[in-house]
Amino acid sequence: MPSEGAAGCGRWSEMLESLLALGGLVLLRDSVEWEGRSFLKALIRKAALSGEQVRILGCEVSEEEFREGFDSDVNSRLVYHDLFRDPLNWSKTGEAPPGGPLGALRAMCKRTDPGPVTIAIDSLSWLLLRQPCTTVCQVLHALSHRTPCPGHSPAVEQVRVLGLLHEELHGPGPVGALSSLAQTEVTLGGTAGLDSAHIVFRRPRQRPTHQTQWFSILPDFSLDLQEGPRLECQPHPDPYTSPVDPTTHLTFNLRLSKKEKEARDGLTLPFQFSSEKQQALLRPGQGQAASHIFYEPDAYDDLDQEDPDDDLDV
Amino acid sequence: MAAVATCGAGAGGTESMAAATSKSNVTSFQRRGPRASGTDSGGPRLVSIAGTRPSVRNGQLLVSTGLPALDQLLGGGLAVGTVLLVEEDKYSIYSPLLFKYFLAEGIINGHTLLVASAKEDPADILQELPAPLLDDSCKKEFDEDVCNKKPESDIKMKIAWRYQLSPKMEVGPVTSSRFGHYYDVSKRIPRELIETSKWHGFFLPEKMSSADKVECCSLTPGYMKLLHFIQNIIYEEGFDGSNPQKKQRNILRIGIQSLGLPLWGDDVCCSENCDSSHSLSKFLYILRGLLRTSLSACIITMPTHLIQNKAIIARVTNLSDTVVALESFVGSERETNPLYKDYHGLIHIRQIPRLNNLICDESDVKDLAFKLKRKLFTIEAEWTVRERDRKKGLPLPLVHPPMAAAASALQPAHRPDPKPGAGYFFLVSHGVQGPSTWAILHCTPGP
Repeated sequence: MPSEGAAGCGRWSEMLESLLALGGLVLLRDSVEWEGRSFLKALIRKAALSGEQVRILGCEVSEEEFREGFDSDVNSRLVYHDLFRDPLNWSKTGEAPPGGPLGALRAMCKRTDPGPVTIAIDSLSWLLLRQPCTTVCQVLHALSHRTPCPGHSPAVEQVRVLGLLHEELHGPGPVGALSSLAQTEVTLGGTAGLDSAHIVFRRPRQRPTHQTQWFSILPDFSLDLQEGPRLECQPHPDPYTSPVDPTTHLTFNLRLSKKEKEARDGLTLPFQFSSEKQQALLRPGQGQAASHIFYEPDAYDDLDQEDPDDDLDV
Repeated sequence: MAAVATCGAGAGGTESMAAATSKSNVTSFQRRGPRASGTDSGGPRLVSIAGTRPSVRNGQLLVSTGLPALDQLLGGGLAVGTVLLVEEDKYSIYSPLLFKYFLAEGIINGHTLLVASAKEDPADILQELPAPLLDDSCKKEFDEDVCNKKPESDIKMKIAWRYQLSPKMEVGPVTSSRFGHYYDVSKRIPRELIETSKWHGFFLPEKMSSADKVECCSLTPGYMKLLHFIQNIIYEEGFDGSNPQKKQRNILRIGIQSLGLPLWGDDVCCSENCDSSHSLSKFLYILRGLLRTSLSACIITMPTHLIQNKAIIARVTNLSDTVVALESFVGSERETNPLYKDYHGLIHIRQIPRLNNLICDESDVKDLAFKLKRKLFTIEAEWTVRERDRKKGLPLPLVHPPMAAAASALQPAHRPDPKPGAGYFFLVSHGVQGPSTWAILHCTPGP
């Protein structure tokens, strides 16, 4: 239905906007079952349609395959650096920038045109497998926190780095390190035909916000937001809905009537140190009437006042 | 520790000893010399550096961490010459606050700052320090907090007299403002204060040029540069007593943010068997050596949740003096737990140093939770019903059995017929799974 479609369009556009708005590193974590390249291309399309320049570092697929499916106006805005065809620069054509793939990234960082820039890395896993993790992190940090170069206007340069990470290829270490660098993290998953994206926004110095969106990607790489799957499956039982009432089965009285309250307040507790108690302690003779010792000797008690140890033969 | 040794046992020591230590000694013993003689320099002068005070236990020179509640938990403050390691919470929301409190306290007291970071520019960090609460506005801030409390807390508990004397956790401001100030997190520190203060910044991306790939003695280049930087500052500005100037001595407060991140060039967070596995330990060892021989105190925040090899975390803990860990409830199941709704996370004091001492000044309260209110970061003892947590099978933090005031955890006094109005609360109770000796010790009332 057209109205739904229009509403859907607005919503997916908002969602992608919110992903791109934060700037910094957007980490897309995908896996074998839920691939992320289509989502990456949807983000690239969104960025290109809003008039920005998008630079792509392509390592895993060829340029033709990557550009496939994009409209011509989107394609014209993409600047593609191809590392797939000749990653080690054996053909020595002089096109590849020095320093390898990281050098290419750094070069992207330096070419400052005014306006926001989006850099897409396909994929970060490729880089992590060939370069030390620390260097990759340092370069990504330098990209996302680019200080404005002298000579250009010091306007805020919004740099967005979209990185695709195949999380099954790496251990928890590199994935954790990259997540700590990322401003936004999107984990792709899904159930039974529907794709989902679990998004974590980590705004600086604020609590992270989580969001889960169900979507499907159309052939032209626009996003269509879906409702989630039917909620028959696993309604999470809230473990705290039925709290155990601690006031049942008590042997003492929690609810006192007014009289009882007065009686309780009037009671002097034995360990409360009041002035009467102090007096009683200082002058022990006066309170004697209250304390008596009642002693009833039984058959075995010896009331002889003499020293019982006299009987002993020591 | 340089310059702060106290003459412990030698109270009112001999003339020679006093003279030898007079210039650089901070001692609480003052020689009552004959003033009538007119000499001004007889006996040790009480040299006091702004923002420090001697510990009441052993005279160790202490500086404030910026949070008076944390000072109290650490036994009065952070000892000069030691390292305070803060283990960051998972999303690094609250640990930067402790970092900033430490630096802000330094600015207020006029100490020199050294801020090192690989992630943020130190100038930006300094811009975001919280503004200090002055004494007259302090009272207003706390009054508004008190009014928001629920009315039930007004009912005073009748406490057995023996326990009335036990110290309460201080939540309010202290009247003396020379040690430990309060800060308003919602406001920024005034620019004039930053400009008049002396600070040095170390931002790793600026200091490292791509040509430095040489690793010497298995220390990461980033750490090496930082150590050289710190050493230079200490030497040039005379914090280690090398320049016997006549001017007033000062404390150097060092803050290192997020040590161990891959941004420092250290891959301790990236893999379990990392190449530079000793780099971090060496750095801490050398840093502690630098600190012990100078008038400085250091705070380091470290994302230990990212470190893959647990043995390294243990080593790092041993190499630091005071270790505090923050655990925030964000993203964990405790966030929705109604028991924890008043708090934002737990704070664990993992280690307190024993400096020139056989025992350390541990506080009795082990369950501590923190909450970031709009303007304040507060640390309070946590009063919860642990039994409910245990029944649900949720993991409990490893702490001592808590002092619980909730009715269901109380073992009722075995009275078959409770008289109306009679009965009093024991301040402490033991868990339902069985009496623990700790609790019984406290339960025994006095004669």
